[in-house]
Amino acid sequence: MSIIPSTDWALQTLEQWGERAGTLFQNRIRLGVTGLRRSGKTVFVTSVIDNLLRAGRLPFLDVIAEGRYQAARLEAHPRHDVPRFAFEQHLSALTGPVPAWPEPTRGLGQIRLLIRFQPHSPLRRRVQRQSTLVLDIVDYPGEWLLDLPLLTRDFATWSAETLALADRPPRAALAAPWRQALAAVSPTGPADETVMRQLADAYTDYLHACRRSEAGLTLLQPGRFIEPGDLAGAPLLVFCPLPPPAGEVLRPSLYATMAERFEAYKDAVVGRFFRDHFAGLDRQIVLVDLLGAMTRGSPAVSDTAVALTTALEAFRHGRGYWLERLIGVSRIDRVLFAATKADHLAVDQHDDLAHLLGGFVADARNAIRFAGASVETMAIAAVKSTVSVQSPHLGRTLSCVRGTPLGRTAPTVLYPGALPARLVPPYIDTGTVRFLDFQPPPGLGDDGRGLSHIRLDRALQFLLGDVLT
Amino acid sequence: MSGRQSGASAGGTVDRDDPIGPVEFDVDAAQPLVFDGDDAAAADVATPPPPSPGRRWAVRGVVGGGVLLVLTALGFDVADLLARAFATSIALGTAAAVVTAGAAIGLVVLLADEVRSLARLRTMDRLRDVGALAMNSAGGRVGRDYAAAITGLYRDRGDVATALERWRGSVGDAHDDRELVMLIDRVVLADLDRRAEALVLRAARDAAIASMLSPAAVIDVAVMLWRTVRVIRQIAALYGVRPGYIGSVRLFRHMMGNLAVAGLAETGHHMAIEALGGTLAAAVSTKVGQALLNGLLTARIGIAAMHQCRPLAFNADNRPSLAGIRRALLTVPRDIL
Ligand SMILES: Nc1nc2c(ncn2[C@@H]2O[C@H](COP(=O)(O)OP(=O)(O)OP(=O)(O)O)[C@@H](O)[C@H]2O)c(=O)[nH]1
Ligand SMILES: [Mg+2]
Repeated sequence: MSIIPSTDWALQTLEQWGERAGTLFQNRIRLGVTGLRRSGKTVFVTSVIDNLLRAGRLPFLDVIAEGRYQAARLEAHPRHDVPRFAFEQHLSALTGPVPAWPEPTRGLGQIRLLIRFQPHSPLRRRVQRQSTLVLDIVDYPGEWLLDLPLLTRDFATWSAETLALADRPPRAALAAPWRQALAAVSPTGPADETVMRQLADAYTDYLHACRRSEAGLTLLQPGRFIEPGDLAGAPLLVFCPLPPPAGEVLRPSLYATMAERFEAYKDAVVGRFFRDHFAGLDRQIVLVDLLGAMTRGSPAVSDTAVALTTALEAFRHGRGYWLERLIGVSRIDRVLFAATKADHLAVDQHDDLAHLLGGFVADARNAIRFAGASVETMAIAAVKSTVSVQSPHLGRTLSCVRGTPLGRTAPTVLYPGALPARLVPPYIDTGTVRFLDFQPPPGLGDDGRGLSHIRLDRALQFLLGDVLT
Repeated sequence: MSGRQSGASAGGTVDRDDPIGPVEFDVDAAQPLVFDGDDAAAADVATPPPPSPGRRWAVRGVVGGGVLLVLTALGFDVADLLARAFATSIALGTAAAVVTAGAAIGLVVLLADEVRSLARLRTMDRLRDVGALAMNSAGGRVGRDYAAAITGLYRDRGDVATALERWRGSVGDAHDDRELVMLIDRVVLADLDRRAEALVLRAARDAAIASMLSPAAVIDVAVMLWRTVRVIRQIAALYGVRPGYIGSVRLFRHMMGNLAVAGLAETGHHMAIEALGGTLAAAVSTKVGQALLNGLLTARIGIAAMHQCRPLAFNADNRPSLAGIRRALLTVPRDIL
């Protein structure tokens, strides 16, 4: 054994420890933006960054209200193997002459923001004239979030759950072609690559059909089947849920091979994704598009509930200890549940929306509180695309929103209806509410104060306020 | 629904029992939700409360009757005086008449001012109530009325103009009642609070230094009283009360109540310990100790005045504390000696 590798090793370890000790003293926050697809993650990240850079529209962020905020700046992320979040591109889409929402996200994007501010306490100010907070955020396709529950399931369990789900309406009709293909093969039969690929393709088609369907289903696993990212066509993605085999499972059988691939997918794709981007989170915001789910109806609402609850189980919540941080483990100690797109409702109803969300995520919220993290619920809009107005109607005054709906050219004034008091599955849509998707408002961000939003500053105060002191 | 009123019913718009389905409206019929009713809303909130029950009217009757009698007597005397002056010479008579008229006008102006100052004091009480109401509601109306009342209150104040401007820049149509009040609190009132605290600190230092240097206890007390009354009036004026004489007396009375309620009035012993820290107390001469106590008392009264005059109750985070003032006061002996 030569001496060189061992010094190498020692140096590396030392470096690692130094880095960890560094993160202990440096303010670094990894903010986890969690949300199913189309829940508003990309818009949220874009608006947060723009607003922190311009700092003109955040009166509820204490560090700004107290005049201690200096400036923020984007910085290159030290990890070069992950693409950068296309902030500028999304921003110019939103603020362009024809304002447009960002396209659905197809892959990872990370971004790092440095925030300079003066410490709050005079004592710390004496030691350190200015502090720096390093804020790391990762954006990803919402579909991938649904891979996290796979980590705690084996192939048999997952198959059983998925098949049971596919037997119920509205999925049953969509699953028919795939179920036919399944019926034609025997799980204990030979592991023929063409057959397996046919099955996987049929299953992928089924997932796509679910996504496209009127019902707007979101509980679709595995996520990479829909958004493969850089894995398109890889053998890792050639499997699908199988009914339990009747007899003994021999090694090279269809069932055994697919189970192996499932495990490989869990390990190489989901596990890596989780370790790289979710295991080290400090703060978390869970974006829930409650209004969208309600518009799509009862299956979408229950899908969202199940998908969120199971996805959240993967995260480590609780109060972190400094020793844990030193050895590189961290816990999420603040979680914000945010109902997004609050601008679809007039200001009068924001509180109702927050309460509705509170009831909707009650179980997850309790579990996280029990683990020791602090939790809040809010109704926010990352990009405010409507204005609250009042309209006379049948002798009363209704609070409405005014904006231009997607696909129309003229603005309209909409009263979406009163929100239900509770939203517990099975929620039955009674047609009492209707929401319209709006275009981003023209002239967004023209005043140079940052994208206009609803309660983004209060969200940031809850998530980051304590580290900005 | 967790204590807070539901937005729809708070705004008086829609009840859950009688749902109005989704409707689209004509864009032109819609009214924006802004503070255009500034003055109207302010007047609405600032109107004096309805007359109070019988007993107070009896008291007012007695006092008013007495005043009226005195005025009548005075009137006869003045009329007498004028008659005699005119009898002596026309010039003297005219001069006396002018002086009398001047005095009468002055009296009326003074009285009107007093009445207005009392109304302002009551406005503050009402504003505090409305503010508390808005903090617990989730619609968008109460908070808007409250905000309009506050901007109306400080409309003519050059020293509040920048804060008001900043507030206007940060408030939007999507802020609910609670947030509107919180914004007023954080942007407009926080600025006044800082200045009020500076006033209190200055008064406390003055009182402490004066009683440290004064040769006799009588002078101590006189200076302290004078300084206390002055700081109360300054604070009241800062928050927009501008009390008259009757107003000041009233304020003083309210404040004494507040001292007790806020648990501020503690035993002298406790205050001495607070002021000096147990062991140090023995080391410093009683004279210095007494001076610090006087300063601290002045500060307490000043803080009580802040509670009394602020158009929104303090919350746990922005409640003014004696601690900072105590610390600043402790440097006084060192500065002097
Ligand atoms: N009115 C309004 N609509 C919003 C807001 N945020 C998002 N949306 C709408 O929601 C859609 C999805 O937003 P994204 O930010 O792209 O959602 P995402 O979570 O990144 O979606 P994936 O990338 O597919 O996972 C947008 O195209 C908008 O139509 C908002 O603040 N206000
Ligand atoms: Mg996205």
